[in-house]
Amino acid sequence: MRAGSFSRDAAIGLAALLVLAVIPLAVHSPFFTDLIIRLSAMGLLATSLNLLVGATGLVSFGHGMFYGLGAYAFALLMQKTAMPLWEAALLSLVITSVVAAGVGAICIRLRTIYFAFVTLAMQMLLHSIVLSWVTLTGGDQGLRGGIPRRFIFGVDLADQRNLYWASAVVLILGLLAMRHITASPFGVSLRMVRDNETRAAFLGIEVWRAKLTVFVLAGSFAALGGIVASLFVSGAYPELVDWPLSGQAIFAIMLGGIGTFLGPLVGSAILLGLNDLVTRETEYYGLALGIIILLFALGFRRGVTDFVLRRLRPPRVLADVERR
Amino acid sequence: MLRVRNLTKRFGGVAAMDDVTLDFPTGSLTAIIGPNGAGKSTFFNLISGALVPDSGRVLLDEADITGLSRAAIVRRGIGRAFQVASVFPTMSVAENLMAAVAAQRGQWDRLGSRFPPAGTRGRALEIAALLGLADKAEVEAANLSHGDQKLLDIALALALEPSVLLLDEPTAGMGPEERWLMIEKVQALWERQKLTLVFIEHDMDIVFRIAASIAVLCYGRVLAQGTPDEIRVDPAVIAAYLGTPEDELA
Amino acid sequence: MDLNALGGCLSSAACLVTQGTSGLIVGLLLFMVAAGLTLIFGVLKIVNFAHGTFYMLGAYVALSAYQFTGSYVAAIAAGCLGMGIFGIAFERFLISRVYGTDVLMQLLICYAVVLIFDDVVKIVWGADFQSMGMPPAFQVPPLFIAGGVVPPFYLLLIGVALTIALLLGLALSVTRAGKIVRAAAQNPEMVSVLGINTTLLYALVFAIGGALAGLAGGLAAPVRSLTPGMGFSVLIESFIVTVIGGMGSILGALIAAVVLGLIRSFGTIGFPLFTDELIYVFMIAILVIKPTGLFGREIV
Repeated sequence: MRAGSFSRDAAIGLAALLVLAVIPLAVHSPFFTDLIIRLSAMGLLATSLNLLVGATGLVSFGHGMFYGLGAYAFALLMQKTAMPLWEAALLSLVITSVVAAGVGAICIRLRTIYFAFVTLAMQMLLHSIVLSWVTLTGGDQGLRGGIPRRFIFGVDLADQRNLYWASAVVLILGLLAMRHITASPFGVSLRMVRDNETRAAFLGIEVWRAKLTVFVLAGSFAALGGIVASLFVSGAYPELVDWPLSGQAIFAIMLGGIGTFLGPLVGSAILLGLNDLVTRETEYYGLALGIIILLFALGFRRGVTDFVLRRLRPPRVLADVERR
Repeated sequence: MLRVRNLTKRFGGVAAMDDVTLDFPTGSLTAIIGPNGAGKSTFFNLISGALVPDSGRVLLDEADITGLSRAAIVRRGIGRAFQVASVFPTMSVAENLMAAVAAQRGQWDRLGSRFPPAGTRGRALEIAALLGLADKAEVEAANLSHGDQKLLDIALALALEPSVLLLDEPTAGMGPEERWLMIEKVQALWERQKLTLVFIEHDMDIVFRIAASIAVLCYGRVLAQGTPDEIRVDPAVIAAYLGTPEDELA
Repeated sequence: MDLNALGGCLSSAACLVTQGTSGLIVGLLLFMVAAGLTLIFGVLKIVNFAHGTFYMLGAYVALSAYQFTGSYVAAIAAGCLGMGIFGIAFERFLISRVYGTDVLMQLLICYAVVLIFDDVVKIVWGADFQSMGMPPAFQVPPLFIAGGVVPPFYLLLIGVALTIALLLGLALSVTRAGKIVRAAAQNPEMVSVLGINTTLLYALVFAIGGALAGLAGGLAAPVRSLTPGMGFSVLIESFIVTVIGGMGSILGALIAAVVLGLIRSFGTIGFPLFTDELIYVFMIAILVIKPTGLFGREIV
């Protein structure tokens, strides 16, 4: 993960954005626009999860809770108040950050497997609250009524094409921001915490503070994905807070490769494609997906981008035969 | 000046550290010796903040640093290297050191810029040169030889600009020749940087040749502290530990 | 929130008995599932995310065995033994491939099994709610203890669960096999160096864990409705139990499970709308005070 410069990343992002912007003008495919919007949501969720897993070594099983929280907070603010879209989105991010800080403060001090499990339990708690608080959230029916006033900078996001462009921009900007985090001195400190927490502490790094900060940041980016999802489904549904989404995010980062920055995005794209394929071919989605996951976990084991990178890198010359 | 007063730490019913009082004058070079299980590493853990003592105090230049966190003690100026070299395997030597320098300058949590922060590279290479690692700056730490990893470990501690340097068995795992090369580097470092250096060591030849002062620990207690000549003839030390000069290498 | 009702119940012997036994069986069923979970974690350091599936399959297998033979004993035996075998198969074919790999890989494998068998159950037994119904032997009037209502079946359940708890505790502390299991939990390398067949040991641990969960499923079948996906909520709750009780501690699991069951049954009176949340909050409270759980040791 040798980071390039900010200008290089920005250039790549801009190029990708231009390509994405142009495609629907040339090819009319609602399937493609839907896919990109969904990829934006899922890609943000997965990449933010990898800020925890890949970059810091914090294995969270319940990261989806921030995605769902972002979606519900946004949809509720839009429905119940007269806020403009960008304000509701910003406030949703703030709300999620605060919750993430609280959850993180409790979970961060726990060791690996406890941390993983308690984040899961936190997600189930949120899910449970969403289902119980029917007057606020609509319970298991979800938030009906759609999202009113979907205007941002005068652009009406009720138009799928506009939502497509907005999602693409949000995705690219979100990725650039997360990329900047991993490439900053803070990002390197996260890597140090991941690889040798003891040594990191003995270099003067406040490990607790580093972990909490990245936990909150990751939660906010997940919430951003949730907001995109909320716009896509015109509301919010309990499925957005339920565990299978966290499971999908985990599978996406494993599939794409946790060792590279774009791995989770690649994995999300593959997973979305697989999901569509499976739902088209069979009604037994769980069975099919389960078998696919097993094939991956027992067979390939390595994410796509990790695998490719290993092939591309020249064989390493050891400085000495003696190796730890 | 590092002062330790009545330091005690129990695990279960066992006193790993039992009322230990030691002095390390500024700029001194002290070796800590003792049989396995004497509490030498525990001692380092207690001073560096990895463990909180049950009672007793640790004073650095008259300031009480007992019970402070690892990061806080690092900021006060105590650096540490480990028995098993503790480095960051996926980063190059230069990156390891740049990260340490950035941390020392309080920049580890910077989000606004890219790594490495300005000016860290030069400093990192300086430190690498001090330990003889300058030509290996771009090698990934995992690919370094064992000896070089130990050097990198020490370099990381040095990057913190410590006034006190704790080296836990700097020659561990090395053959006889490599051992001397390492300890000579350590001694040169001590002279050049004007550090207060404390090192744990098992090789008695090295200890008696290099150290200006020796502290002997046994069962968590101080058996004796003094110059090599004093220790050599101390009856308690001889009885408990040294035996004949030929059989060392615990 | 109905604190009056709760207060009323707590001061009435009848209500205490009724709700108390109801909470007790919920807790004891949970204990049996959690015991297997904590055993597997304690010895193998594997978080068996698929453990709820053992419970679910145990219930469904018991259902079919009962419908086929008419004998409840056969049903329980089928559920218990069937899941013991399933546990061995799961360990041998799947889990053993990911020992030592990172926890995400283990999670994925377990998650895949959950997905697969949720659908298998749908295919074989249908997606609708099923129920076994109370076996004729227990279709007798309930007992009245101190004015409270106690179905006789509950007594069977309590009896079986407590016996299991006792046997398990004894087996682990007194028998040679039990000591090996505990030794393996503390120091896996030493155990294999001592010549103990670790392959057999690990398979055995999963067999016991599976059997316990399957037994719980079989015992739950008469008093719960069966549905695909019933495993997941049990899984979460049994995880909560193991975390509160301390990973690797059977006694901790017992205490935590019973407490949870009682919170649930008395909670539904006082806080009918957020009983679930109450349990999560309880878990969080414990973890804030003692991160390794009531009886857990720091397992890195």
